[in-house]
Amino acid sequence: MMTRLKASWTHRSLMFLLMIYLLIPLLATGLYAFAKDWQTTVLPESWTLEWVGEMFQDLRFLDALWTSLYLCLISVALSLVVMLPAVFVITVYLPRWETFMKGLVVLPYAVPGVVAAVGLIRTYSSGPIDIAGTAYILIGAYFVVILPYMYQGIRNSLLTVSAVELLNAAELLGARRMRAFVTVILPNIWPGVIISTLLSFSVLFGEFVLTNMLVGGHIQTIQVYLYQRVGESGHLASAIAISYFVFILAMSTILMKLGRKINGEVR
Amino acid sequence: MKHRNRWVWLGLAPFALMVIAFQFMPILSMLTGSFRNVGGPGLTLDHYIKIMHSAYYLQAIKNSLLIAAYSSIIGIVVGLICAYSITRFAPVIRDRLLMLSNMTSNFAGVPLAFAYIILLGNNGVFTLLFKQWGWSVFADFNLYSWSGLVLVYVYFQVPLALLLLYPSFYGIRDQWKEAAALLGASPWQFWRTVGLPMLTPAIFGTLGILFANAMGAYATAYALVGGNYNLLAIRIGSMVAGDIVNQPELGSALAVLLALSTLLAVYLNHRMTKRSQLFTAAYASKSSSKRVLSRLTWAKVKEEAL
Amino acid sequence: MNASYLELKGIRKMFGDTPVLNNVDLSIREGELVTLLGPSGCGKSTLLRCIAGLTELDGGRIMLGKQDLANLPPRSREVGMVFQSYALFPNLTVTENIEYGLKMRGVPKKERLRRCEELLALVDLEDKRGTYPQHLSGGQQQRVALARSLAVQPKVLLLDEPLSALDAKIRKNLRTEIREIQKRLMMTTIFVTHDQEEALTLSDRICIMNKGHIVQDGTPEALYSTPRTEFVARFMGSYNVLTRTDAIRLFGDGIGMAESFAIRPESVRLLSEMESASSIGGKRIVEGKIDSITILGNVIRYSVDAAGVLLTIDILNDGRSLRMEESGTIRLALDPSQLLQLEKEGA
Repeated sequence: MMTRLKASWTHRSLMFLLMIYLLIPLLATGLYAFAKDWQTTVLPESWTLEWVGEMFQDLRFLDALWTSLYLCLISVALSLVVMLPAVFVITVYLPRWETFMKGLVVLPYAVPGVVAAVGLIRTYSSGPIDIAGTAYILIGAYFVVILPYMYQGIRNSLLTVSAVELLNAAELLGARRMRAFVTVILPNIWPGVIISTLLSFSVLFGEFVLTNMLVGGHIQTIQVYLYQRVGESGHLASAIAISYFVFILAMSTILMKLGRKINGEVR
Repeated sequence: MKHRNRWVWLGLAPFALMVIAFQFMPILSMLTGSFRNVGGPGLTLDHYIKIMHSAYYLQAIKNSLLIAAYSSIIGIVVGLICAYSITRFAPVIRDRLLMLSNMTSNFAGVPLAFAYIILLGNNGVFTLLFKQWGWSVFADFNLYSWSGLVLVYVYFQVPLALLLLYPSFYGIRDQWKEAAALLGASPWQFWRTVGLPMLTPAIFGTLGILFANAMGAYATAYALVGGNYNLLAIRIGSMVAGDIVNQPELGSALAVLLALSTLLAVYLNHRMTKRSQLFTAAYASKSSSKRVLSRLTWAKVKEEAL
Repeated sequence: MNASYLELKGIRKMFGDTPVLNNVDLSIREGELVTLLGPSGCGKSTLLRCIAGLTELDGGRIMLGKQDLANLPPRSREVGMVFQSYALFPNLTVTENIEYGLKMRGVPKKERLRRCEELLALVDLEDKRGTYPQHLSGGQQQRVALARSLAVQPKVLLLDEPLSALDAKIRKNLRTEIREIQKRLMMTTIFVTHDQEEALTLSDRICIMNKGHIVQDGTPEALYSTPRTEFVARFMGSYNVLTRTDAIRLFGDGIGMAESFAIRPESVRLLSEMESASSIGGKRIVEGKIDSITILGNVIRYSVDAAGVLLTIDILNDGRSLRMEESGTIRLALDPSQLLQLEKEGA
């Protein structure tokens, strides 16, 4: 049926309003980062690059950025190493466990960060494993935060490429199990896995609650640093916030491009 | 057979270890802690009783529940209307609008609170502008109060509601509208008798997620009002100082209460998803698993998980 | 009796720059079942949607009885429609679906239930009252959809490929059922399909559509025996369509002035060795080579190369038929009186 959608004026103006509503805080932050004098006008009266420059000269900022990057990288890498075999085993050999896995995957959503932080600190601040306030506890907490993304991503990829059939075919052709996994399954699920990895990375990059509560006093990630600067200099904080956002934006653009490419290949 | 089993367990062991250590143990520790006597053995309900008799904590719970309810309901109404509107656009434009919404849903927590401070804080751009223009309606508005919090919460609830709801509008097929029109129903009658009932599970399900989202939200409120506004999440957070918990048992009990409310909300979502599947299972397209790959976004994963 | 009940005049519809309906005229008598038959994209479904008011016209008039429908919204047209995908409301039970239209018209509950029972009996679904549509089979869903559109006693019933989503056996049963109900209620009906067999068994009259036109209309017999254009000949059956050169090669001169011709596959006879040419007066004997043989059940279909023209020939599979092999030679008896002259397309 040839039905062409052309949105009416009501819908257009409604969406226009929504977009303005959603974008104004972003725009304001962006403008503020480059504004020299902005008091009683709709747009700033004069512009400057001072704040952005100051940001890049701030050693604490660069430190925080570096800390964020390596903490997120380590957590995502760990998650990848742990989740890939586990999800593969569950999807292919233990499909009956999937109900349990679904329940497990909901937990990080149902248990808010503050609650998880209380539990984690209680468990690890004393007793045999005293890792409170260290990067270890944070990486563990991050692992749980991205669990749903990694699980869904890997599982969907496995289902999309019909992993079980692929594996059977490879084995019928004489490949050993491990070899079949490495040569047939991995290359096929790789694009989907990369997407969930990137997504997990950007989620962790924006994590504040757990980081601040678990290791806030010792380790400064970009979010913690941003929080501390908010009170000091608004313009500098804007510059940080907007560069953080640009980074996230770049990530999601890559994600979308990748997603489209993969989708194109699947079709 | 033996050989295969070894591989299976080897693949699962690290995963099981991580989940037990960082998911189950903390929850268990929190649960037992909330029932433990301070400084001694034995089980007790003292901490819960204490909370129930403390006007301060009761107010925190009440404030949290209210702000979650208000922001979710406003979020769902706006989201519902916008979700319908977005399905009326051609796919190319629709995808761009969705991308923008998805992008702004990343803009939460500290940066969001900060953006609102720039706009509407004491020396915010709009605050000063309105003052200069003499718009007295906004003179009483205080970002660091109840209404300010609701405003900021609504901001992150709307895109989430939109992203979670819009697919269900595609479940309402144009032929139903046509059939209803030919049977004599006005558009309004159609939405009342068929459209909205079909959407009800999705609406309540999304409401569950929004509610849990707002109950658990900490960063935004913390960055905006610090400890000055009495919310459950803020109270729990304030008990954590450095790497220890002050009054750990009481903190655990508060955390258990918060977790209960979010679990309940998520459970509501779960039930509603099941219900809506009853309606839509027969019509759902088989290709959905492929589509997920490309739309693997925050909201989508959330939706899939629940 | 001959007065038209539903009258379409000069219906035009464009999608963008493409004309989908191009000056369509059609008139239908009360109680008649007319089939719109054509390949996908010929505009038949669009025509139906225009009558229902679901698609806006770009030009033309639709008269139902004494009323001009053109400016009425769908819900005031008193037209019932059954969709290919049933379009039942999944949140309502069978009964609630059927009484939906009556409810919208404010018919009291008691009357609604009485009507509902009648219709449930009509479509033979009395034991499914409280069931939700998704628990019914495809055929049952389509019967509910039929009952739902009949409940409001529409003046015209429109069926948009109602059987295409069903499997072959159910399709045949439901086809007969629909025809019986239609006759019993004397319901003026337009039936859209792309299946010529369906159209032939069901209709009082068939309109063949192509590229937004009605190219020929008439009773099933007339359409089948005398297609006017090549398109109809090809669409109605496996007619052999011959160019003028081919036709002269097979039938000789004196076949009329047309540019193309058609002959039905079952009107060509295969001759056995014993049969002499004299036993079949008035026919032309042509020699040919068998290209392929396909058994279609009760019919055997031969593809024969006769004088450089590839002909399809159907012979009844009655067990007495000739034993012939592929690439064997055979003689054909062609009857010039069975040769049809075709008009130019679009004439």
